[in-house]
Amino acid sequence: MPGIPDEKTLHTAADWWLRLRDHDGSDETIEQWLTWTRADRSHMEAFERVTELGERLGTIDAFTRRQWIDEFAPPVVARRSWLPLAAAAAAVIALFGGYVAWSTFNASVTTASYTSAVAQNRTINLPDGSTVAMGGASMLTTRFTRGERRVELGAGEAFFQVAHNAKQPFIVTVGNVSIRDIGTAFDIRRSGQRVTIAVTEGRVQIFDGSGTADHDTHGPHMLEAVAGERVSYDPDASAMSISPVTPEQATAWRSDRLEFINEPLEVVIANVNRYSIHPVHIADADLEVLTFTGTIKTDAIDQWLGALPQVFPLRVSRGADQVILSNAERRPSP
Amino acid sequence: MDTLGKPTDLDTSTEQAARVAALFREHNRALIAFLQCRLNSFSDAQEIAQEAYVRMLTLERPDEVVSQRAYLFRIASNLALDRLRMRKVRNDMPIELPADELHLPPVPERHVTTGEQWRELRKALRELPAKTSQAFVMHVIEGRDFHIVAQVMKLSERMVRYHVTNALAHCRARVDEMEIP
Repeated sequence: MPGIPDEKTLHTAADWWLRLRDHDGSDETIEQWLTWTRADRSHMEAFERVTELGERLGTIDAFTRRQWIDEFAPPVVARRSWLPLAAAAAAVIALFGGYVAWSTFNASVTTASYTSAVAQNRTINLPDGSTVAMGGASMLTTRFTRGERRVELGAGEAFFQVAHNAKQPFIVTVGNVSIRDIGTAFDIRRSGQRVTIAVTEGRVQIFDGSGTADHDTHGPHMLEAVAGERVSYDPDASAMSISPVTPEQATAWRSDRLEFINEPLEVVIANVNRYSIHPVHIADADLEVLTFTGTIKTDAIDQWLGALPQVFPLRVSRGADQVILSNAERRPSP
Repeated sequence: MDTLGKPTDLDTSTEQAARVAALFREHNRALIAFLQCRLNSFSDAQEIAQEAYVRMLTLERPDEVVSQRAYLFRIASNLALDRLRMRKVRNDMPIELPADELHLPPVPERHVTTGEQWRELRKALRELPAKTSQAFVMHVIEGRDFHIVAQVMKLSERMVRYHVTNALAHCRARVDEMEIP
């Protein structure tokens, strides 16, 4: 077909596309590229086609994006500790635990449920000797059997200080993620399906998908996090990310301060709402992706909201019983 | 008047205008392609190119510039970086308003419907080795840096680039087959 650059030329063009997008690239790279584009008429044509495709791919809608990530880059745990063997062992333990629970059903299963109100922190002493400090608007369900201690964090945030018992593992489930303690203190924060785990003492094993659960479909993926590490799970990303954290940062909320490091506004507001008397809503979805780093005092949320327009292009409107954040660049609705 | 005999600002600026006009004629297509590649937006590319030419016209000492072409691309590249930073602060999104779609690059061939386009591209990705499509989706669709993709996939950055390049070329070839009758 005339006019269509051949695959080899397209390939070279794609290579230039990657190289030119590097902003640290030198003048020399540009010069070399210009020389290449002038060497043959098909070169510039091919480059323009690749660039045009690049722009189109940038307009991908959220739904298609999600589909593609699921199919081609499904969430996996990043970094050093792929421990398939340990994960398999954990799965066996989970199975065994399931068996024990089944065989002793009605005999030794204890379940309990705990909730905290908005702006209320509370501390619970669990029957096994572990302590859980719950943040505002949080919900926790426990199910202890002879073989394991299962805790589900339904909403909010909790700081666990676990009484270690190798024969009865302590497993916290948060949406798609489960955390297994190995002699530990750790904080878990849940914002919808996003989960942040900050380890302050010892170690934990973190499983994505249903790693330790019985209905495991795509193989257990596990990583270990140690004291001083914070692991973030985002269902829309293909990998968990790890960053450093101090115990003070991890449990700042217990001293009435919410700390955020480079987190989406959506997550920040979800957490603020656990302490705010008037719920805060984000009206324009494009605001949700702005990222925020900083400290919010839970007794000074109003002041923080008042200062937000200085940092972000948004408007704060206060209604009788709620606060609305909207894009300052859009016209206010009449 | 009294300016006779020595070059005036007017002379210099006329000369420079001629140089810039020549640059435009010879390199505008490349400049736009370069900027579109950096900005992922044809309309932004046009705007920035425009501004780069204005900067070239208003240079204080144009005669001191060794290579006008290199200088033009450097100015454009800096302006593009500013634009990207501004976008990041504003929105963190590549396309801000639906109105931008009106400025999509004029491609002479028939454009398939958007839904059909994504389906075809997905098919094209399925034809590739798993690593190739994974690297492509992580870098181009998710916008992850090469070193992050490399870390997750346990490959060298060079291999990640290789996979992304292959996927991009393959997808472009498939789109061409689909859109050029």
